[in-house]
Amino acid sequence: MDRGEKIRVLVAKAGMDGHDKGAILVATTLRDAGMETIYTGLRRTVEQIIATAIQEDVDVIGLSILSGAHLSVAQKILKRMKEEEIDDRLFVIGGVIPDEDIPKLKDMGVSAVFTQSSSFEEMVDFIRSNVKKEES
Amino acid sequence: MLFDREQLEKIREAKKMWEEGPLQKALDRFGAAESPNKFYTPLDIEDFNFLEKVGFPGTPPFVAGRYPVSAISTAWGRGSAVGMGGALKRAGRYTGFGAPEDTRDFYKDVHAKGLRVGGPNLAFDLPTQTGRDSDDEFAEGEVGKVGVAVDTLRDFEIIYEAFIGDMDLDKIASNFTINGSTNIILAMYVALAEKRGIPLSKLRGTPQNDILKEFVARGTQIFPVRPSMRMTRDTITYCAEHLPGMNTISISGYHMREFGATRVQAIAFTIADAIAYVQLGVDAGLDVDKFVRQMTWLSFGGGMEVLKEVAVRRAARRVWAGVMQERFGSKDPRNWYYRELGGALVGYWTATKQRPVNNLTRAVLGAAFSAMIGEPPACEPPYDEPLGLGHSLEAQQLGEDAARIIMEEAKLCEVLDPFAGSYYIESLTDQMEKEIRAILERIDKMGGAVAAVESGWMKEEIMRSSYEYQQALESGREVQVGVNKYTGPEEIEVTTPRTLPYDLGRREDAEERQIANLKKVKKERDNEKVQVCLKRIKEAAQDESVNLIPLFVEAVKEYASEGEICGVLKEVFGEAI
Repeated sequence: MDRGEKIRVLVAKAGMDGHDKGAILVATTLRDAGMETIYTGLRRTVEQIIATAIQEDVDVIGLSILSGAHLSVAQKILKRMKEEEIDDRLFVIGGVIPDEDIPKLKDMGVSAVFTQSSSFEEMVDFIRSNVKKEES
Repeated sequence: MLFDREQLEKIREAKKMWEEGPLQKALDRFGAAESPNKFYTPLDIEDFNFLEKVGFPGTPPFVAGRYPVSAISTAWGRGSAVGMGGALKRAGRYTGFGAPEDTRDFYKDVHAKGLRVGGPNLAFDLPTQTGRDSDDEFAEGEVGKVGVAVDTLRDFEIIYEAFIGDMDLDKIASNFTINGSTNIILAMYVALAEKRGIPLSKLRGTPQNDILKEFVARGTQIFPVRPSMRMTRDTITYCAEHLPGMNTISISGYHMREFGATRVQAIAFTIADAIAYVQLGVDAGLDVDKFVRQMTWLSFGGGMEVLKEVAVRRAARRVWAGVMQERFGSKDPRNWYYRELGGALVGYWTATKQRPVNNLTRAVLGAAFSAMIGEPPACEPPYDEPLGLGHSLEAQQLGEDAARIIMEEAKLCEVLDPFAGSYYIESLTDQMEKEIRAILERIDKMGGAVAAVESGWMKEEIMRSSYEYQQALESGREVQVGVNKYTGPEEIEVTTPRTLPYDLGRREDAEERQIANLKKVKKERDNEKVQVCLKRIKEAAQDESVNLIPLFVEAVKEYASEGEICGVLKEVFGEAI
């Protein structure tokens, strides 16, 4: 299947957290950086996020979360990614994540964690250099 | 008019000479095409009319302040808490975590330390805010996280075990940061008062209940826009009849500003929302000068350019005084000003995680300028806001001391509106008033704030501003010290110790405990009665003219859960997307 040259990113809001300024800004920035971005909208279940990721055949799942539920949501997404055999895709998290939780998320298998300290440039660079496109 | 023509002509000539002479010479010396500085003169406010544009404190258009003597000065003089100024002595700050017993124990602990509490200012967890029970599949991982979990009246009974005797419901004011499910929470408060034998007329408090900004910026909407507004109408009419001491709404610009709205957008959208809420009461046949007394305002939020923040607030006061008279024909000047909590003049979004103690400097700037426009010198946010896990005692202490220093050492609250008559501030105030009015006109043409929210326009406008600012930040056009500038190896990270006020350990198993609490309530209640109540709510919801709150009161007394009530309402109203 020709997935084209463009990196495909799903920007997802899980659970009940209604703050989507960050998610929309990230989605817009990645689009401007030449990627295909899909934004799920607010309050998606893990199942909905995984289903969209498969259907849209994305290279990256980006989870935006500010409610403090990041550890449990990340765990669930990683488990489902494995079960659906899409764990070769990048899974990145952005939001208000306390520093002490970052190593825990990385140990779980999260590819990268971006917080308020991260620049958008960092995020774009990370995705560009870590996505494995079949053609290139 | 402040200046006569002859004087203005002289100033005009002098200005020309200055521009061509000393200014041009300086620019030539530095090789600059234009000056990095601005200078304002009477020419910028040629038609300035003091009585029309400013007025005396406590007189229209209330630009110099709501009262002849500022509330801050009087309250502070009595030694009671004002704004964040005495927060260490009161637990009125935004609190709530874990299961109800955790929040109850927090307050009990505060009382045991001998601290007087004006009443709880409750933060609710996201399931409660979005109308779901703690055992809802969707709530997993969220129970008790950003606030306390409330499913049934039993939970309110538990929280308020910390408020009895001389702190009973008729002696305190409760604040609820709740929006979509306000009327159910309000019903619980009413039911609790009735069970305790306290007359409803004695209840005081404020629910946030500003649903329009939820759709735009905060994201806890439960039902679509129009049924949500019907619920707000219910709050207004129910409180007008039964709860005269209760505020109905806390109109908020803060969240939109935090979301990235420009300062003018934030004020204009807030006022547009406020117009829509006032219209609800008018359409329900209430006397505008009566029910508007029960509406309060939270804060507009803010940003680091404090002089512009000052001007936009002065402009907002003028616009609102106009709105109440021109649109709603209000006759009572007490309704021409908005009762705003104030604060957050530099916003929370400006706080940085890098070198976080700098946030104290930022907040002090905001507090100083708040003081000068008659708002509480609230030094917020506490500097460790971006670090997560709540505000440490140290950050709170520093913030509170800053407010005291501003009040009592720098005495910045002594003069009311020291900006009145400033060529710069007055001309900027005029300009911002025009910009706010232009946006209001645009929203009117769309059919008002309800339509502007429903179509997504308001949110898109804010997102555009937010994205533009983000790009300015990325490109370095806008500076955040320690974030996109001054980040070299010669800079050092400064940290202070942080003692957290909560027992965070208790939050860990809160979900499990709260699910067990709910299970117990459901087992002990009369389920048939609950079903009857839910059925009646569903039927009544179909008739737009019915006020649902009395039915909610009945239902919560039978321990129907918030999730169950919202569940049947969703069947009628649909769900917000």
